Amino acid sequence: MNKSKTVLVLIALLSAQAVAQESFGRKSPSVTMSPVPIESVTRGKSGTVALRFRVASGFHINSNTPKEEYLIPTDLKLDPPTDIIVGKVTYPPGIDASLSFAPDEKLSVYTGPFDLSVTVRPLASVLPGKYSFRGELKYQACDNAACYPPKKLPVEFEVKVVKGAAAPKKNPAQSPNVHR
Amino acid sequence: MSEEGVFVKRDPVVIIVVVMVITLMLVFGIRKSRHSSPIPQATTTGMKVAPDFALQSLDGKTVHLSDFRGKAILLNFWATWCEPCKVEMPWIVDLQKKYAPEGLQVLGVAMDDAGPQEIAKFAQQMGVNYPVVIGKDEVADSYGGLPFLPTTFYIGRDGKIVDKVLGIKGRGEIEDDIKKALAQGQNVQAQKTGL
Repeated sequence: MNKSKTVLVLIALLSAQAVAQESFGRKSPSVTMSPVPIESVTRGKSGTVALRFRVASGFHINSNTPKEEYLIPTDLKLDPPTDIIVGKVTYPPGIDASLSFAPDEKLSVYTGPFDLSVTVRPLASVLPGKYSFRGELKYQACDNAACYPPKKLPVEFEVKVVKGAAAPKKNPAQSPNVHR
Repeated sequence: MSEEGVFVKRDPVVIIVVVMVITLMLVFGIRKSRHSSPIPQATTTGMKVAPDFALQSLDGKTVHLSDFRGKAILLNFWATWCEPCKVEMPWIVDLQKKYAPEGLQVLGVAMDDAGPQEIAKFAQQMGVNYPVVIGKDEVADSYGGLPFLPTTFYIGRDGKIVDKVLGIKGRGEIEDDIKKALAQGQNVQAQKTGL
């Protein structure tokens, strides 16, 4: 590489480094949701959908059952399609953690990946097909030194409603009414 | 034109590098303009005057920052849902007690969605011995925005911001900043008291 090109590449690298430092000096907390595989649920019966979330490295969010009444719990709210009932949302237990400034005060938090499961039950009258569920995960994140205002992560997944397996037909030959 | 000049003009690597530098400079410029705050993060040089505000206290009175002019102010933005805020509160309570005779006034600004009663209950449980007012986004914006809590401003007796601290710091660092605020604008206080 000749001299001019070397100088230009160096300028580019230094600029990139400066921008990176400016932009990412302090990260923002984030919770992301992994893509959800479409779950098949038989109409008239309950099924479970597993949702996986991930808290960005260096942050924690309160669990669904924080130890202090003032802390904001992680909470999933869903808006189900008509005639599909959302049942229980199961949250994982929180991990006990404490801030470096207050090692004796225990918090119940989620860090890294965590899974929620949602029970759904399409009514027997629901037409088979794919149905979208929308909602939001409310959470409030902190790092070791500061807390960020509560946020809402949009949540979306689909469920495939299927007909139940046909009831086995009775064999008239086995019917006691035939063989008297 | 020299042979090298022609090479630089046409080489795709050079073009890519130039485009990259321009893009980065644009991104940098846009980010800077969007995030420029009226209050610099490190205010030890070129100190700004703390913006005045009028906020409701927990008992419904209107409190202005300027009501405390002549005192060193520890302006602590906090919320009930903020655990680090809760951790530093007892330290601030102690330091208010210790430095009040020297002219320190702590002022808490609750950035909660919770109502005044809930905030008051929390403050009472924490033994808060200083006024707490209900924060507003406009006030937060006038202080350069509060992406997280706690955020604390140390304001000298002359109304100038001595330091802005993002997040929790140790008790010792809080005390050091209080001393700086008490020292800032000392002559203003002296003029007021006729010393």
